[in-house]
Amino acid sequence: MELLYNIFADPFVQMATMPDFLLQVLWEGFVTGTLYALIALGYVLIFKASGVFNFAQGIMVVFAALSLVGFYQAGVPAWLALLLALGVMGLMAIGIERLVLRHMVNQNEIILFMATIGLSYFLIGSGELIFGGETKSMITEELGLPTGSSVLDVAGGIVILQHIDIAAAVIAGILVAALAFFFNKTRIGRALRAVADDHQAALSVGISLNQIWAVVWFAAGIVALATGIMWGARSDVSFALQIVALKALPVLILGGFTSIPGAIIGGLIIGMGEKLFEVYWGGLMGSGVEGWFAYVLALIFLMFRPQGLFGEKIIERV
Amino acid sequence: MMDQGVEGYVTEDGRQIGGVLMALQNITLRFGGVVALRDISFDIREGEIRAIIGPNGAGKTSMLNVINGFYHPQEGQITFGGKTRSRMRPYEAAKQGISRTFQNVALFTGMTTLDNIMAGRTLKMHRNFFWQMLRHGPALEEEIEHRRKVEEIIDFLEIEHIRRTPVGQLPYGLQKRVELGRALAAEPSLLLLDEPMAGMNVEEKEDMSRFILDVNDQLGTTIALIEHDMGVVMDLADRVVVLDYGKKIADGLPSEVQNDQAVIDAYLGVPH
Amino acid sequence: MGKQAASEELASIPALLARNARKFGAKTAYREKEFGIWQSWTWLEASEEIRAIALGLLTLGIERGDHVAIIGRNRPALYWSMVAAQMVGAVPVPLYQDAVAEEMAYVLDHCGARFVFCEDQEQVDKVIEIQEKVHHIEHVIYVEPRGLRKYDHSHLHWIRDVQAEGRAAQQRFGAELAARTDELGYDDTCVMLYTSGTTGRPKGVVLSNRNIIESSKNSAEFDKLTADEEVLAYLPMAWVGDFIFSIGQAYWCGFCVNCPESADTVMVDLREIGPTYYFAPPRVFETQLTGVMIRMEDASRVKKWLFDTFMQHARKVGPQILDGKPVGLWDRFKYWLGDIVIYGPLKNMLGLSRVRVGYTAGEAIGPEIFDFYRSLGINLKQLYGQTEASVFITLQPDGEVRSDTVGVPGPGVEIRIAENGEVFYRSPGVFVEYYRNPESTASTKDAEGWVATGDAGFIEEGTGHLRIIDRAKDVGKMADGRMFAPKYVENKLKFFPNILEAVVFGSGREFCTAFINIDLTAVGNWAERNNIAYASYQELAAHPKVYEMIQGHVEEVNRSIAQDEMLSGCQIHRFLILHKELDADDGEMTRTRKVRRRIVEEKYADLIGALYDGSKEIYTETEVTYEDGRKGKISATLEIRDAAVVGEGKVAAQ
Repeated sequence: MELLYNIFADPFVQMATMPDFLLQVLWEGFVTGTLYALIALGYVLIFKASGVFNFAQGIMVVFAALSLVGFYQAGVPAWLALLLALGVMGLMAIGIERLVLRHMVNQNEIILFMATIGLSYFLIGSGELIFGGETKSMITEELGLPTGSSVLDVAGGIVILQHIDIAAAVIAGILVAALAFFFNKTRIGRALRAVADDHQAALSVGISLNQIWAVVWFAAGIVALATGIMWGARSDVSFALQIVALKALPVLILGGFTSIPGAIIGGLIIGMGEKLFEVYWGGLMGSGVEGWFAYVLALIFLMFRPQGLFGEKIIERV
Repeated sequence: MMDQGVEGYVTEDGRQIGGVLMALQNITLRFGGVVALRDISFDIREGEIRAIIGPNGAGKTSMLNVINGFYHPQEGQITFGGKTRSRMRPYEAAKQGISRTFQNVALFTGMTTLDNIMAGRTLKMHRNFFWQMLRHGPALEEEIEHRRKVEEIIDFLEIEHIRRTPVGQLPYGLQKRVELGRALAAEPSLLLLDEPMAGMNVEEKEDMSRFILDVNDQLGTTIALIEHDMGVVMDLADRVVVLDYGKKIADGLPSEVQNDQAVIDAYLGVPH
Repeated sequence: MGKQAASEELASIPALLARNARKFGAKTAYREKEFGIWQSWTWLEASEEIRAIALGLLTLGIERGDHVAIIGRNRPALYWSMVAAQMVGAVPVPLYQDAVAEEMAYVLDHCGARFVFCEDQEQVDKVIEIQEKVHHIEHVIYVEPRGLRKYDHSHLHWIRDVQAEGRAAQQRFGAELAARTDELGYDDTCVMLYTSGTTGRPKGVVLSNRNIIESSKNSAEFDKLTADEEVLAYLPMAWVGDFIFSIGQAYWCGFCVNCPESADTVMVDLREIGPTYYFAPPRVFETQLTGVMIRMEDASRVKKWLFDTFMQHARKVGPQILDGKPVGLWDRFKYWLGDIVIYGPLKNMLGLSRVRVGYTAGEAIGPEIFDFYRSLGINLKQLYGQTEASVFITLQPDGEVRSDTVGVPGPGVEIRIAENGEVFYRSPGVFVEYYRNPESTASTKDAEGWVATGDAGFIEEGTGHLRIIDRAKDVGKMADGRMFAPKYVENKLKFFPNILEAVVFGSGREFCTAFINIDLTAVGNWAERNNIAYASYQELAAHPKVYEMIQGHVEEVNRSIAQDEMLSGCQIHRFLILHKELDADDGEMTRTRKVRRRIVEEKYADLIGALYDGSKEIYTETEVTYEDGRKGKISATLEIRDAAVVGEGKVAAQ
């Protein structure tokens, strides 16, 4: 009886009696969710354009953040470090296209997937070699990102908003809008959708696959850099981050592998869901719910709606 | 066989056909040990409708894929646009003015008719990425100009009503038309059609024939097409190449080819 | 010719054009979507274009009284050609462009056309073929040059070339044109329109300037049409309604005529234009409604709930609000809310948000369909008209709209009901004559100008509204002398979305029977939802479950008919579902989609026999004509069902 009470009544009583705390939890979840969404976005971009599930997306986030911090530590001003890090992502995109993808045209998807696993080990190895294995902290202030916090009086209590979190949400929003515009309104965007649809046909109208791949990987690189900065600002920059990046998987299952809105909504659902669960129900199941909540949710989805929330239906329009 | 001199020739319906646009010389294509095309030579002349026919497995599609660079022949040369080469990449072929359609329709199914045909103009677009992002100035003007061209094609092919429909939702016959539109969007000097009437009913075939003739007549586009349906080919084509088991067995005006014993045997399946 | 125009200068369409060019010079007169963009012409530009065509016609040697045939879909250039023909004293004769060659040949031959305007290659090809038999066609002028480059151009002209010739010949023919235009009188012929007619050869209805202009003026005043209306010209140019709406009223009022991009884009164009004055036959409203319903079936549950709730409310108060009757404040608020959530977006989707005056006519419209549109706040009304009347006989005034009447006599129209129930009318719009057919003219119009409509009906007491029962000649008697009104029953059947067409038999018989055509869209959808697989129309039509559903509809109609004592004999005892759609190409319907009863009776005599001899099923073979003109045969074994009837006991099938 008490167990039932603890599951079905108590959490809601708590939510109702302390709405400010509920809001705080939701906000935390929301911010985590945007970051999940950003990582998922990186996967979606590449998956759409080349049909490859890019295993290395997580490590790209780490790699991007590491190069940014690395450049800064080497004595370069923060803004220049940012540009250089972008440059690294660009070079990486071109490199991947030239050295890996170009030789794998018309190969089976699983082979391409294996190639990205190889790529991720390569990036881990070279990253450790160049930047060392130790944990670094993000150069948040140096990049001009806000660090303070605001206290809001809401619902008879207070909610604390970290400024960096607000910045993360805003930047994520801008990035998504820019990508949507890029996809839907520009020639390259159109070419990109064309490639996503049919490689052969795209070739026949003179779309250069090589160029498109480089562009897409670069776009994924930019997303990775943004994610790396935001995530790094909230915790640290280390290779452990790639584990977090795996959270993108359930997000993708929820949202559909090819849908940008799906990635965003999936990210938010998982971010907020796992926080809520952790806080209100976590005690019942021993803590650490955050670690597995997303995967269980994904499993349920796989059973009942394998195409994801926005599978197929949406891609037609995106 | 007919006279194929440099001056060109006169078609059966009395049109003067010009000089050589593309010449294929001694093309041999092998997949591993299998010979798909064996020592094939023929030319495509400016302004003509050239058909490549043959029974199933004769190597027609391989031939088309060689022309547009999907396959690279082991032997032989292709002369096109004044340049002779042994191999071409599809991207380069497109750049040089070769457009094509596919036997099983290869459209960008998630995109609208408009976007599909617009994608066909990829190579005609020049403004750089930066301007495009701004959608301003020259890029906007260029976009408008391209849109105008695309609208002309839409009008030409009578597909106004499906302008905004994702092509995946269209019936097959219309998809074929959109695909033709996309190929035309590049304003090709050579248009390759891979079985343009495959899977169509009589009415759709008549429509498609009319469009092909109109393209050739009004836009002056040189067309090379593969077709299975002999009747259609004889009506459409100015000259016909017949392949059988990867070899060229005849080449000439439809009337000549029709009466050629080797062709009749090939189609009736006389053993070799 | 006597000039007795109400206003001396406005005695012809060209005169109205001149006035509009003066009065509304810079206002848009025509729009047409081409290359994805709406191109437009002001009245001044249009009058210049028309003048150039007229001059061009003079250079080609057109004479006063020549007939000029117009074949094609609604395009500004073709409307201009009609007015240009009038300017040079010729008579425009618009033709149905989808008419079979034989029918077209007959009309071209009968009117003696020397000039033919064609929209494109397809029409030119037809005319060239017809020219082999009809030798008086001298010049063919086309609008769309596509595919015609290689044709022999000795007697074939591109309209732009004709215009260029005309402009160049301004010096030579300017005065001649002015003279010819000036002498046009109120009683000169304005246009000749061929009525497809349910029987026999088409007849050329000659309408004078007086007919057209008076009718346009009266009807425009009736509905307070202004120069700011927008109409979409999408109905056949050969139909009198299109001539009145797109030329008569448009020129009288000076409003803008919009031409769709192609026949397939009409719905999209409708949405983009948002006409304020709109006509559509019941079929169009029906199709649109079916489309909405199908979409709602697939919509999310929330959306469907909203739709159902608000539509229910709209049905309750919408028509009253539209008619300006008192409605409670709360209901008004709910309707306002519904307008934001459902009605507004829906009207927008249908392209009807701006419709101020909407009409339907030609066939009876289902009450549910009619009410649906009215409840959304669309002022849809009915009118009753004929080619011979220059359209208008009766119209429904705002605020007196019902689905079962066709309104009160229009301004200047008198109505008389003959003893057998046939409706007669007399009006300024009454046609001059049937061209080269004095017998038919005499049998239709008497010396005093009364015209027989061929419809049976009565004037409702109290309201003065006309109600139509059926075609007068179709209102017959059954074997026992009871009244037989097939159309009345057929309409009741057709009000079910699943039934596209119905033909009821029973004249001189013991009991009534019916052929049913299912509506492929509606029934197909129903089948999909109910997991009923089918490969063809024929298979779906023969499905037992479909039969069951249709039987339900038939029996419901029987119950409704039984309530009216006079017509209770018309209940359907037996029916079958036809294996093919009745089709104009097979001659079973007119081009305006009215069933040709005689032809159906002859063609399917075996089926009718089976309906009356008690068979449970019948095997039949039917000849069909494909769109490209080839003929083929289809065969089927059709099931025949008995339907329950009310009140008179079932007539046993022997």
